Amino acid sequence: MMATPAQADALLRVEHVSKTFATPDGPVKAVDDVSFNVAPGQFVSIIGPSGCGKSTVFNILGGLLGDYEGRVTVAGETIKGTHPAIGMVFQEESTFPWRTVVENVAFPLEIAGVPKTERLEQAAHFVQMVGLHGFERRYPAELSGGMRQRVAIARTLASKPRILLMDEPFAALDEQTRLLLGDKVLQIQQALQQTTLLITHNLTEAVQLSDRVLVMTYRPGRLKRVVDIDLAHPRDSEVVSSDAFGHYVAEIWHDLREEASRGIQDAESQALHRTR
Amino acid sequence: MTMSAKGFWTSTPGARIFGLLVTLAVLGVVEAAIRADIVNAFIVPLPSQIAAAIPRIVAEENVLYRFWQTTQEIFAASVLLALVGVGLGVLLYSFRTLRLACETWVAALAAAPVVLMYPLFLVIFGRSATTIVMIGFAAGIAPVILKTVEGLAGVRPVLIDVGRSFRVSPAQQFRLILLPAALSSVFVGLRLGLVFAMINIVGVEFLINFGGLGQLINDLAERYDLPGTYAAICFVVAISIVFYVMTGKVERRLRPHQ
Amino acid sequence: MSATRKSAPVLRRNLWLVRGAIVGTILVAWEALAASGLLFRDVVPSLRAIGVAVQRLLVNPDFYANLGATAWEIGVAMLIGTLLGLAVGILLGANRFLSRAFESLLLYLGPTPKIIFFPVMIMWFGVGAGSKIAMGVVSCFFPVAISAAAGMRDIDRVLIRVGRSFRASTWQMVTKVYLPAMRAPILNGIRLGLGVAIIGTLLAETKLSNRGVGYLIIQAYATFDMPRMYALLIVLFVLSIGANAVIGRLGRGRAGPAA
Repeated sequence: MMATPAQADALLRVEHVSKTFATPDGPVKAVDDVSFNVAPGQFVSIIGPSGCGKSTVFNILGGLLGDYEGRVTVAGETIKGTHPAIGMVFQEESTFPWRTVVENVAFPLEIAGVPKTERLEQAAHFVQMVGLHGFERRYPAELSGGMRQRVAIARTLASKPRILLMDEPFAALDEQTRLLLGDKVLQIQQALQQTTLLITHNLTEAVQLSDRVLVMTYRPGRLKRVVDIDLAHPRDSEVVSSDAFGHYVAEIWHDLREEASRGIQDAESQALHRTR
Repeated sequence: MTMSAKGFWTSTPGARIFGLLVTLAVLGVVEAAIRADIVNAFIVPLPSQIAAAIPRIVAEENVLYRFWQTTQEIFAASVLLALVGVGLGVLLYSFRTLRLACETWVAALAAAPVVLMYPLFLVIFGRSATTIVMIGFAAGIAPVILKTVEGLAGVRPVLIDVGRSFRVSPAQQFRLILLPAALSSVFVGLRLGLVFAMINIVGVEFLINFGGLGQLINDLAERYDLPGTYAAICFVVAISIVFYVMTGKVERRLRPHQ
Repeated sequence: MSATRKSAPVLRRNLWLVRGAIVGTILVAWEALAASGLLFRDVVPSLRAIGVAVQRLLVNPDFYANLGATAWEIGVAMLIGTLLGLAVGILLGANRFLSRAFESLLLYLGPTPKIIFFPVMIMWFGVGAGSKIAMGVVSCFFPVAISAAAGMRDIDRVLIRVGRSFRASTWQMVTKVYLPAMRAPILNGIRLGLGVAIIGTLLAETKLSNRGVGYLIIQAYATFDMPRMYALLIVLFVLSIGANAVIGRLGRGRAGPAA
């Protein structure tokens, strides 16, 4: 169990969070006593193998999952359910297919009761921010997967969350698109000084974008290691070819590999049991 | 643009034309067979006679008015289907226990010969347009309810999660997320219900000898106007095909960009 | 719409409670309406009257004679209609050109009112069972043919190549490869076909017949014997839904490891 040193000015505090699921095969502990903090303006990634409980952490922090042990606070306030200060970007396709790009982005403003002209104007600003200027009136079906994820990100940004929570938003994209999109996200994050927590399984992405990487173990998910990424800002995707980058990736992979192989072994033995 | 003869005939429009030609050829054979007395002209009138009867029927039998009558009945049934059918569908979706309890009943209703209740409706509503509309409604309601529930239940969970993450109220969730996402399925169900309603409305008009186009066929048959009866049947079949195709087009047009 | 997941036995109990409550309410409302005299006599007969009528029906040999007549008509219609439908459907599904030429004919003629063909059927097949069977055939042909054509096209191409590689004759291909592979869509087509065959045959019986369940129904209407009409409809619905469920079960069960 590794806890980060307590920071007085931490925006997000996760304290001893554990979550157990009841399954037909008995209780499964997905997350075990995870604690960490995120300072304002920081970009933190959580990385781990499949099955390490990172999506569980995502859902808990976002308030979509309840019934857990421990405490999560935002600016001192304990969260109970969804919190207006936390914005979520999901892994799957989450744009509303029946709304245009700008209408999608305007959604949180519409919920908040902002009148139409104003909210479309504000939304257009965020549409431009993610680089989709000119696509405002298009429908998601006309866009590529990467563009749709940008719409989802813009939509969440439009709600001006204090903390941006993203669950593997680039998982479905190819490597090149990923790198460029990651670039874009980092640019925006730096410009807005947006506190961001990114869940990912992608090493390069984690190192490229974050100030700090939290490595999780395989189930039950615990915090194995914290790696501070001391690469200078502004970064762009060129940074992936630097030595320091490689060094960080190696460091993280060293821990990740162990967990990932445990995951694979587990999956294999489960499949074996099923065929009997 | 040159296309080989074979290329043309095997393409879709070419094949369609081929099908049409074959149909016409069959009619030609029938015509010849009747003229040659192979087929009894009292049982099957000459196709040419039937074709000639169509304008006569249209002119003499107030076809336009009858068409309007049937249309009104279909329209009334569709309003009922939209309000009651979609309404019940939403109701069933909203209460999970209710849905699990009743969904099989609605599916059973879809399999039941509902139109056979027309003598019952005759007793309740009399020999009137109400009976016809109610049969149309009863015959079409099951697919509307089922498709509405299916559409609502089939909304991708992530879209609901998006709403939750933005803290929508239940009313907002329904209006802004569930309904638009389910609309596609709702329209499919409404179209199905409408087609079933149309079929049964025309059928019952025929059976109870009341109403518009269905009644026309029954009338002509009872008058032993053979070419007229055949002509009216062809006419009604043509109209129901048009109805089927048109409702299909409207359904596709109304379906949101998904 | 939060859903608190209940355990399976609790859920099952709740379902039956809800079903019981709904059925109970309907029965109570029905009885109240029957007793109130609001509608003219017997449009809503008391539950007891209906119960007695059902009982009388089920012990009446005359009913079974008529039921048998209808079942015979439907049976023959299904046999002819299904065979024709399968033949046409398989042919259209197998051959792209024929499909393009004629399949839209099937798709467009399917959703049309068939009972309007009845006067023609009477002329061709007489006023007896022939015209009713013809109505049944015309009704059930379309769903079977359409399902068979679609089913043919959905067959995994590899299975066809396997059959051909063993040099199976056309008949063998049909009976040993095509039909087994299309079991689910064909059974579904038959299920739908049975539904419309029942409707087509019975409607014809209500229009012009002196035997059969449809005849009994219209008789009950003519003599204003409402309890008997309700009884006939109840029995008819139970049998139809039951037959539908049985075929549906056949389509699902024994699906095999590949399904």
